Amino acid sequence: MVLLGTCAVGCGSDDPHRLVVSAASSMTVTLEACAPKFGDAENADVKLSFAGSDELAAQIRQGAKVDAYAAANTKLPDELYADGLLTKPVEFATNEFVLAVPEDSDIQSVADLTKEGTVLVVGSESVPIGAYTRETLAKLPPAQEKAILANVRSNEPDVKGIVGKLTQGAADAGFVYVTDVNAASGDLKAIHLPKELEPQVAYAAGVVKKAEQPDLGGKFVDGLTQGDCADALGDAGFGPAP
Amino acid sequence: MLRVEARHPLGALEIDVELTVERGECLALAGPSGAGKTSVLRVAAGLLRPEHGRVEANGETWLDTERGIDLPPEQRRAGYVFQHYALFPHLSAWQNVAYPVRGLKPERRARAIGLLERFGLADRADARPHTLSGGERQRVAVARALAREPDVLLLDEPLSALDARTRAAAARELGGVLRESEAPTLLVTHDFAEAAQLGDRVGIVDQGRIVQLGTASELAAAPRSAFVADFTGAVVLTGVASPGPQGGTRVELDGGGTVTSTDAAEGVVAVSVYPWEITIEAAEEEPHGSAENRLAAEVLSITVVGSRARLGLAGPQPLVAEITLASAERLGLKAGVMVTATWKAAATRVVAA
Amino acid sequence: MTRAGLTRAAWFPALLGLCLAAALTFLTLPVVAIFVNSSPGQLIDSLGEPGALDALWLSLRTTAASIAIILLVGTPAAYLLATRSFRGKAVAVTLIELPLVLPPAVAGIALLAAVGPSGILGGTIEALGIELSLTTASVVVALTFVASPFYVRQAMAAFTAVDRTLLEASRTLGVSEALGFLRVMIPVALPGLAAGTALALGRALGEFGATLMFAGSFRGITQTVPLAIYDRFSTDFDSALALSAVLVAVSAAILLSVKLVRGGEALGSAPR
Repeated sequence: MVLLGTCAVGCGSDDPHRLVVSAASSMTVTLEACAPKFGDAENADVKLSFAGSDELAAQIRQGAKVDAYAAANTKLPDELYADGLLTKPVEFATNEFVLAVPEDSDIQSVADLTKEGTVLVVGSESVPIGAYTRETLAKLPPAQEKAILANVRSNEPDVKGIVGKLTQGAADAGFVYVTDVNAASGDLKAIHLPKELEPQVAYAAGVVKKAEQPDLGGKFVDGLTQGDCADALGDAGFGPAP
Repeated sequence: MLRVEARHPLGALEIDVELTVERGECLALAGPSGAGKTSVLRVAAGLLRPEHGRVEANGETWLDTERGIDLPPEQRRAGYVFQHYALFPHLSAWQNVAYPVRGLKPERRARAIGLLERFGLADRADARPHTLSGGERQRVAVARALAREPDVLLLDEPLSALDARTRAAAARELGGVLRESEAPTLLVTHDFAEAAQLGDRVGIVDQGRIVQLGTASELAAAPRSAFVADFTGAVVLTGVASPGPQGGTRVELDGGGTVTSTDAAEGVVAVSVYPWEITIEAAEEEPHGSAENRLAAEVLSITVVGSRARLGLAGPQPLVAEITLASAERLGLKAGVMVTATWKAAATRVVAA
Repeated sequence: MTRAGLTRAAWFPALLGLCLAAALTFLTLPVVAIFVNSSPGQLIDSLGEPGALDALWLSLRTTAASIAIILLVGTPAAYLLATRSFRGKAVAVTLIELPLVLPPAVAGIALLAAVGPSGILGGTIEALGIELSLTTASVVVALTFVASPFYVRQAMAAFTAVDRTLLEASRTLGVSEALGFLRVMIPVALPGLAAGTALALGRALGEFGATLMFAGSFRGITQTVPLAIYDRFSTDFDSALALSAVLVAVSAAILLSVKLVRGGEALGSAPR
């Protein structure tokens, strides 16, 4: 705190600039790997903050000092933009919404989730992964949707919680992104959904209007589409910008 | 009847005690702190298990280490009064007294009030211990021990926590209670006067052992050792004895001076005399009276106790004399005055050093 | 006192006062802000929303259950630690105090590693037919784990402070040790026990991290008030405020009632 203050007063241009980035949980592993490279290239000290995209948006609304915001959907950045808190969001990646199960599971499709006694863990309604889940289930016949929802045993605030419950053996299945399954190094396997159920998962990012480092923030957001971070996202299994 | 035998290490000492207290009798164990007296009480109560020991009360065996019998305190009908009373702070006076009593509340309260009345505390029945005076708390503690209708009474320094003024009244009252009670009582104190007042017999305890047992006057009249003499309040002088005139003994005192005693002894000894057996004459006075022993001494201090004056004297060895206030005034005694302390050879007891 | 002496002496009390003012402001402002940021009407409306009531009821039930377990098992345990010495006692005490210094997230991991489905005892628990995963029972487990050291420590201190001769007196008066524990030890140690209970209660009510990791978050089953607040604050801040206000009120009530129990009885422990 004190350091920040003294730096704000009279920092030499040689000192690294501090860049605060709020990003969706699903990008944790990827961004933690590529952000240092960005930092070295731009002489910046990148501070990453991961949580559910909804929580991050709420923090920005409350005035948190964030420079760039990257969400797991387009809805939340669009809302912030509409309220004048964010620059026009840029879609920088897509992700695949999948059904994740433990490596040795018998579950093979979404239909298997209707079985009574199946322990299903999903995201809470306000977090993107949870919204995608409900959007997908709503496309099913009502009886199936109802049966599956009845098996939900936890509404996690972010994907990490869902993955955690799966790897701990506390859940039989959970809806996450394919990148999360990739990051779980072999403990989980992804069941891909039929095309008609697949939601459009587009990740969007923007620069926070009240940012202290708007230029640097802009560069970071650009880097998500083209650059070290974009490459890293691709390697992790994210799809290219739509 | 209460019988206690105990052998038990206590710090650097070993306690080795055997005593019997008859029905209706009070045996007071007196000795300096750390002598192990309280431990004997705790063995009797079951609060301390000795390495070897036996406790029998009223025909029941409470403890027998040989036979592996050790009744816990709650199964021994002993009434124990703790040095600091151990009254339950969250209970009123009557509730404390009623604690050991079984039955329904009205009966318990009635019994407690009855006991409190005996101690003149009925009007404080609902008071909490922290609002009671020291003397009142002591009486509640005794009442509570009696409420158990005990076979044996065990008292740990029952008067020591009281201030001097309250102590006298409390001693009289406690003495009355003990005389009324049929239960054999074992009492422990560091004050010989207290032991003498409350006990039918007194046992002097030193370093874990009872060194002498008898009535208070027996102990005072014939102390078996310098320790007993000193503890019972005598003046103790050390010296070397050799046969003296008329079959008595002549003792050369360390530091100078000679005294004679009607006791027979030889070698390194201690002689004891009680302060009230010493008469004080003015230094210049011609010797008169039949007192054979005379020592010159300087008055160091005068303490008035009632109608008597207790004099601290500096002779070849320290002396204490107790004379009437009138005599002290007549002689014009004050610190620094030289006097002659005199006493009879018959009052001079030779004891083992 | 000389003028110089007066000036010299005055700065220290002034500094003390300043520190107190700073502390008070820092501690009360967030609490006051909870109540100031929303009108009472909005708060009550938000509370009426079914999810909020479920969370409140769940928090009350689970906290009550965990406190009951803590009191029942923790009181005798604390008594043993306070009154007896045995080999390894220091280790036992340290182990009991351990959850105190564990961050809630670590507590969550620890619970998972121990009694989670993949944990050491996971197989045994499943074999016994006990359903622990993602259930209300698992919330109680998490709360009990994090809150018990708060109580046991206080209880130990309270029992240690009780004059030993009181228990001896009780036994010489014909009352067994077990009964004496109830009739003497507990009443005399009560203010300390009450303080410990309040601390444990506060900790259990506010528990978040370990609960989320170990028990999950599901309305009516595992979503306690802190989890509900977390769930709501990004979408319905008023509702989050309302629930926070309730938690503050309940915590204040707990603190007050403890003060009453302590203040009403100025009980001594050492002999006077």
